[in-house]
Amino acid sequence: MMQGEARVMEVAPATGLEPPPLYEARNVSKRYGNVRALVGVTFHVGCREVVGLLGDNGAGKSTLIRMMSGIVRPDSGEILADGKPVRVVSRSDSERLGIETIYQDIALVDPMSITRNIFMGREITSRFGFMRHKRMAELAVDVLQSAVHIAGIDHPDTEVGFLSGGQKQAVAIARAVYFKRRILLLDEPTSALSVRETERLLAYVAGLKQENVSSVLVTHNLYHAFMVCDRFVVMSHGQVVFEAAKEETTIEDLTDHVIRT
Amino acid sequence: MDRLKFAGKVATGSDTLSLGWNAVIQRLRAAVRKRPAGGIAVLFVLVQLTCIAGGLIFPEQFRYLNPANIRVTVMSVAPLGIMSLGVGMLMIAGEFDLSVGALYSFCAVFAATMANNHFGGINNPLSPFIGASLGVGIGIAAGLLNGAVTIGFGIPSFITTLGTMLLWNGGVLLYNGASAVDFLPKPPFAPLFGGQFWLMDSGFLWFLGLAVVCSFVLHHHKLGNHFYAVGGNQQAAVAIGIDPAKVKLIAFAITGGLAAFSGIVAMTRVSSVQPGGGMGMELRSIAACVIGGVALMGGRGSIVGVVLGTALVFTINDVLLLLRAPGFYFDMFVGALIMLAVILNHSIRRRSWT
Repeated sequence: MMQGEARVMEVAPATGLEPPPLYEARNVSKRYGNVRALVGVTFHVGCREVVGLLGDNGAGKSTLIRMMSGIVRPDSGEILADGKPVRVVSRSDSERLGIETIYQDIALVDPMSITRNIFMGREITSRFGFMRHKRMAELAVDVLQSAVHIAGIDHPDTEVGFLSGGQKQAVAIARAVYFKRRILLLDEPTSALSVRETERLLAYVAGLKQENVSSVLVTHNLYHAFMVCDRFVVMSHGQVVFEAAKEETTIEDLTDHVIRT
Repeated sequence: MDRLKFAGKVATGSDTLSLGWNAVIQRLRAAVRKRPAGGIAVLFVLVQLTCIAGGLIFPEQFRYLNPANIRVTVMSVAPLGIMSLGVGMLMIAGEFDLSVGALYSFCAVFAATMANNHFGGINNPLSPFIGASLGVGIGIAAGLLNGAVTIGFGIPSFITTLGTMLLWNGGVLLYNGASAVDFLPKPPFAPLFGGQFWLMDSGFLWFLGLAVVCSFVLHHHKLGNHFYAVGGNQQAAVAIGIDPAKVKLIAFAITGGLAAFSGIVAMTRVSSVQPGGGMGMELRSIAACVIGGVALMGGRGSIVGVVLGTALVFTINDVLLLLRAPGFYFDMFVGALIMLAVILNHSIRRRSWT
């Protein structure tokens, strides 16, 4: 009875309106000593969209990404998920919200195998916590081949330390893709990839929208961004200086904003 | 015509034969390269083969295969071996424990004193079990203390455990004085922890049993996977949602507990314990781990490696004893072995990279 009422209460205000964004940061700030990394940033990720987060080095893009994934704690401001205020102060908080991140400094453990890296911290285990190696290896092969097929990765038991930069990036992407939930954060994912691998990845990110996964793409490459993003947010010196949907802007316009600010 | 045919047959026959050999060798090579303990396993087998050959050729001068010799060697492996299992896992998780040698003595002395003076005295069959459990409990608590200080204050564990090593070394003298403590438990404790079965003693069987358990935890349980993750790249582990503090605390606790247990096993075998008996064992167990392919900076290693590393150290020790070499040769050989093993592992890794 009580539960039924509560559910009605929750749904009622949303009917007839846009659904609230999956993730929203309102007026967040972050300082590192004297450096103001984020200054009153307001940013959101909606349902089924790819947001391009642009800006020059040191604009605060990585800090914002790290804050979204719970590694960096904001000094002030508000964070909402599905319109409700939440605390995101650890990786497990962001995991609960369905946020997966591919980091710029690839977060892989070199001495561990590809499979173990993909399932690190989220091992498939029996009831007593013993790992099901075979199952994980099969899934690893699967996800490596389907998501971003990168040449040269022949065996999931290969140590990550023996892989090239692009191959490592592929493993990191495969990991995030396998655990994709609702929001995929990609921090300069193409920096180590070849042209072909980059195209595959971008196509994949765009395709994820169909599976109800939104993405945030941080990149220097405006052409890449323009290929797949639905909306663009340009940052400079820790602030959001420009925001536009794809239809409202052109690549020249974006370039202008990134360079000028 | 016939001869030609025949020759052709022979040629193909030997071809497939040599191909088969090549495949076997290649597979062996791949296995050696892939396993972190591959190099040490090869070295161990070579040393054993040489020793066995020597023992067969000179049965009088080099009594390697004499049952008494085998028994004594196997017996001596257990204390350092059990300790090294913990030290190795902690090193894989990226931390050191220099206090294990001091804990080895302190916990054994504590366990013996408790069993002798409480719970109905040593003649009560239950009392040594309670004493030993308390000793292992102290070891685990001391490990947790090492971990808490290291993680809580962000101090390198090398420094923390250097401090607790001196603390426990002094503590045992404060608690007990410098005299040895007798420990003469009744059955079933005595045969369970200090008995002798054919060529093996119960300490060695405990070592093997614990090695199997540790191997399952380290290689097949998610906890072990987190040891590797935290030791291999702590930032990556944090980014993916592993709590390094929790993982390392568990590793420290296991190390402390195993150090205490190794002291108790050694004490039961010789029926007494010296307060300074564990001095130097911390470095010897780190040496055994490094010889067995555990990386000094963490993230790499295996239980098989630790077992083989320990076994190799004691094989060398035995050979030197059999050859009547003076005691100081032991340290020299172990020193040389450390360097040899590390160079071997390194070169194997580098070759498999290309």
